[in-house]
Amino acid sequence: MIEFDNVSVTLGVFRLNELSIRIKKGDYYFIIGPSGAGKTIILEAIAGLHHPDSGRVLIDGEDVSGIPPEKRKIALVYQDYSLFPHMSVGENVAFGLKLQKMPKAEIAKRVDAVLSRFGIAHLKDRAPYTMSGGEQQRVALARALVTEPDILLLDEPLSAMDQVNRDKFVADLRAIHKENDLTIVHVTHSREEALSLATRVAVIIDGTLEQEGERDEVFRKPPNRRVGRFVGIENVFDGTVSGTGAGGSVIMVGGCNIRTADVIPDGCRVCVFIRAADVSVRRAGMTADDEYNCFPAKIEKITPRESYYLLGISCGISLYALATEQEIKEKGLVLGQAVSVSFNPSAVHVTADDCLSPSLSPSF
Amino acid sequence: MKRLSKVPDSCLLSFALIGSMIVILTVLALLTITLRQITDLPYFISVATESKVVDAILLTMVAGLNAVLLLLIFGIPLAYILARTEFRGKGVVESIVDIPVMLPHTIAGIMVYILFMRRGIIGEPFSQIGIIFEGAYPGIVAAMFFVSSPYFVNAVRDGFEKVPVHLENAARTLGASRFQAFRLVVLPLSLRHIFSGSILAWGRGIGEFAAIIMIAYYPMVISTLIYYKFTTAGLRESTAVAFAMILVCLVVFAILRGLMKRVGKYDDRV
Repeated sequence: MIEFDNVSVTLGVFRLNELSIRIKKGDYYFIIGPSGAGKTIILEAIAGLHHPDSGRVLIDGEDVSGIPPEKRKIALVYQDYSLFPHMSVGENVAFGLKLQKMPKAEIAKRVDAVLSRFGIAHLKDRAPYTMSGGEQQRVALARALVTEPDILLLDEPLSAMDQVNRDKFVADLRAIHKENDLTIVHVTHSREEALSLATRVAVIIDGTLEQEGERDEVFRKPPNRRVGRFVGIENVFDGTVSGTGAGGSVIMVGGCNIRTADVIPDGCRVCVFIRAADVSVRRAGMTADDEYNCFPAKIEKITPRESYYLLGISCGISLYALATEQEIKEKGLVLGQAVSVSFNPSAVHVTADDCLSPSLSPSF
Repeated sequence: MKRLSKVPDSCLLSFALIGSMIVILTVLALLTITLRQITDLPYFISVATESKVVDAILLTMVAGLNAVLLLLIFGIPLAYILARTEFRGKGVVESIVDIPVMLPHTIAGIMVYILFMRRGIIGEPFSQIGIIFEGAYPGIVAAMFFVSSPYFVNAVRDGFEKVPVHLENAARTLGASRFQAFRLVVLPLSLRHIFSGSILAWGRGIGEFAAIIMIAYYPMVISTLIYYKFTTAGLRESTAVAFAMILVCLVVFAILRGLMKRVGKYDDRV
């Protein structure tokens, strides 16, 4: 288990503010945040390459401030792979084992085993700079894992890869996590990586921990607008609670009354989050299965994305929804077309901005 | 790529013309000396093979090498500290390292002299164990060490800085202590810089004159001998000695440059 206990680090313009997190043994823990937020420093603090200005880093309950990096049983894989350019692939992988003074035959056996595990046995005698990014990344991972660390730290490991290699590598990482019962801490700015691998996620923006929790909780229930935007929730609105009951609340957003399953005190000013993936679009007049949150609307924008379309829809408020190419064809969705949109109250996440003073009625 | 015109543009052309002045100056001086010696080859050979001349050239080369060996021992750790750490007063330390570059050589000579003379802070304890700097080989090495140290330290420091910290960090997490990471990763990747820093320092050391004559006029290094010949025997003899040293330097540095291409061929890729 890795614990950060009120850790603060200042490095140049970057500052980590009193970070406290707990990473349990066996977690695949993601630390996500915008680029340049100094996430690498968190990894370097775990590895012992950076010393916090204040606060403590504990591993398995023990304060590790006096333990140098080479004694922490932690492997770190950097975004730039950091392979030793003056050594062949085989020598790179053998580096850690040689330092352990392992017999030569044993080293050769382990190096061969790990190289075949990653499908790079044929690269053993190659120099690192002659290989592709994906190959170098595999070597870096093999080199890190051959020493059998307790904790694997990954710094943006997928950012320099094309999509095909990335998908393969994600599968590898998932397998490694299971096979070795490793604790993995992975920092990235990519939500997609976190969605496909994480068990728990921490969101760090501007050096401050904004949210920490189970993956789905973080991605569906952000605590504030900043996190909501960062985790990619397309629809974020300001609103006011206009009625509340046991089963949920009704929130006034623009001209729409949106029902949520969350119970919020009447009169609160709130922030409303709805993921575009939770909004369904039907031909106008077709009734929805759920009786709430069904609005007549008009399609204002159709933006193609990598494998789907983002629909900009106006129903008094501007809402985003997703559609596949197939759906667009089947439903005959075109610009300016009248449709009806709906979303389930349980898909409407609400955070209260201001509940102390009841919102004032509009003055004229 | 095929170029339409082989005529370089006017900017490059004028830069080349202006810049060639420096090259021409050196070539002209070398040609003049060479011509004179070649036309009077028997005389040159008789001067160049004088035992005094041969001894002075050997002494200069060996003392220079000795200074470089000391720089390897003391300069590499300093270069690493300057390359990898931040500390209060680092700027001051950097300026101090550079001082020998800025000082007139006679001043450097006085500084070396007052430290290493028999009653000097460093000279005195050494004289008690039998090492005398004044008028002796150790004095020559001390002067060369002092004046060439900035060239060595700065070149090696550049080399260390070019090795990404991430490589060192990766080595640390793989089980290397800081020294092991230095020895197995940083040092091999900076070999070329260390080598070229050594050549620079050697060249600077063997070229020293003013600082050396203050602490050790005798035994004569080549510069002292040339100056002595110039003032006592005249231009003809001193030029012959100079030409002998030129030949030795050209051969040695040609060999070293050739060697450098083989050293640390990986560090360009870092």
